[in-house]
Amino acid sequence: MQHGEYKTPGGKLIAVDFVVVDAKLTDVRVTGDFFLYPDEALDDITGSLEGVSVEATESELAERVRIAMRRGAELVGSSPEAIGTAVRRALKAEEIDRA
Amino acid sequence: MPERASPSLETAEQRWLQHEWRVIGPEPRAPNMNMALDEVLTERVGRGERPPTLWVWGWSAPCIVLGRFQSVRNEVNETNAVANGVEIVRRISGGGAMFIQPEGAITYSILAPDSLVAGLTFPESYAFLDSWVVRALHGLGVEARYEPLNDITSAGGKIGGAAQARRNGAVLHHTTMAYQMDIPLMLQVLRIGQEKLSDKGTRSADKRVGPLRQQTELPRDEIISHLLDEFRRSYPSREDALTAEEIEAAEQRVRERFATRAWTHILP
Repeated sequence: MQHGEYKTPGGKLIAVDFVVVDAKLTDVRVTGDFFLYPDEALDDITGSLEGVSVEATESELAERVRIAMRRGAELVGSSPEAIGTAVRRALKAEEIDRA
Repeated sequence: MPERASPSLETAEQRWLQHEWRVIGPEPRAPNMNMALDEVLTERVGRGERPPTLWVWGWSAPCIVLGRFQSVRNEVNETNAVANGVEIVRRISGGGAMFIQPEGAITYSILAPDSLVAGLTFPESYAFLDSWVVRALHGLGVEARYEPLNDITSAGGKIGGAAQARRNGAVLHHTTMAYQMDIPLMLQVLRIGQEKLSDKGTRSADKRVGPLRQQTELPRDEIISHLLDEFRRSYPSREDALTAEEIEAAEQRVRERFATRAWTHILP
C-alpha cells in the first residue's frame, strides 16, 4: 500500500493511498480534511486515478482529476494539483522502498 | 462602474434580518444523534418545513467527530479510543477531526436557506456566518478573528473551526469551539501527522490551541449565554425547541446510517 500526503499551504490536507499493480495505480483512495461538493464527486476523483500509469506526471494527474470532476463540483481548500503532488509523493516513497 | 456579481458583505449582512430565526438551546445528546439531527434539520430547512435556525448542541459522551472525507486509520488511534471510551462518529460536512469531551466544547449549527449566502465565495460565507460569534467573543475581551478558510483564532491560539454542507437548497454551517482540552488524551486518540503541521510554523499540537476557558476564565454556560445574547441582539429571533417529529426522524437515521460502521468507516 502506497501512501502520500500533501497539505496546500493555508489550506487542507490530501492523503492518497493505492496499490501498484503492473505499473498502474489500483484501489485508489483519496481522503483528507478538504471540502468537496457534492459528496459524490469523490468517486469521480478516485475513479480518474484508477489504472493510471506510475509514469504519469503531477500535471497529467491533476488534469485527469480536473476533467473527471462532475459539472458544478467544487473542491475547497485543495486542488487537483495537490492530489497530483500527493500521488507523486506516494510513488516516490515506493521507489525508496524498492531501493 | 463595473458590475459586481457578488454582493458586498454589508448587503449580505442585511439578509440575516429578513428571517425570524429560531434559537434552540443546548441539551446533552449522543454524538450520533447530533450528527443525524444536523442532517435532518438541514433537510427540513431546505424544504421550508423549519424556519432558519440556530441550534446549540449538547454532548452526552466523549467522541471523535471525523470529517466526511477523512480516513479513520489516518486520523484515529482506534485502540486508544476504544480503551478510553471515546466513540467515533462521522459528520456530513468536510473538514478535520475533532476530539470532543462534553464539557470541553461549544458547538452550534446554523441552518438556513442557501439564499443567505448566495453570491458569496466559500471563504466569504464562512466568515459571514460566524461574524456574530467573532463579535460576541470581542464582547468577552477575546480579540478573535476569522482565519480563512474556516478557523476562529486569536493571539491566544486557535479557538475553533467551522464546516459547511449543502443539501437541497439549504446551507448547514456548524462550528465547534474549544472550551477546555485534555491535550494528553487528545494526542492519544487522534493522529496528528507532520504534513498537517507543515505550514503552521510549530510542531506541537498543544501550542496551536487557545481554549476559551483559558482566554476568558468564564464558565462554559456563561459563554454560551453570551453567544446567544449576541445572536438575539443582532438578528430577529425567538426561542424554539426540536419537535418530537424531528427527534424521531433523527433517531431513525441514527439506526439506519449514523451508528453503522458502513457510515463511520466509509473511508476506513
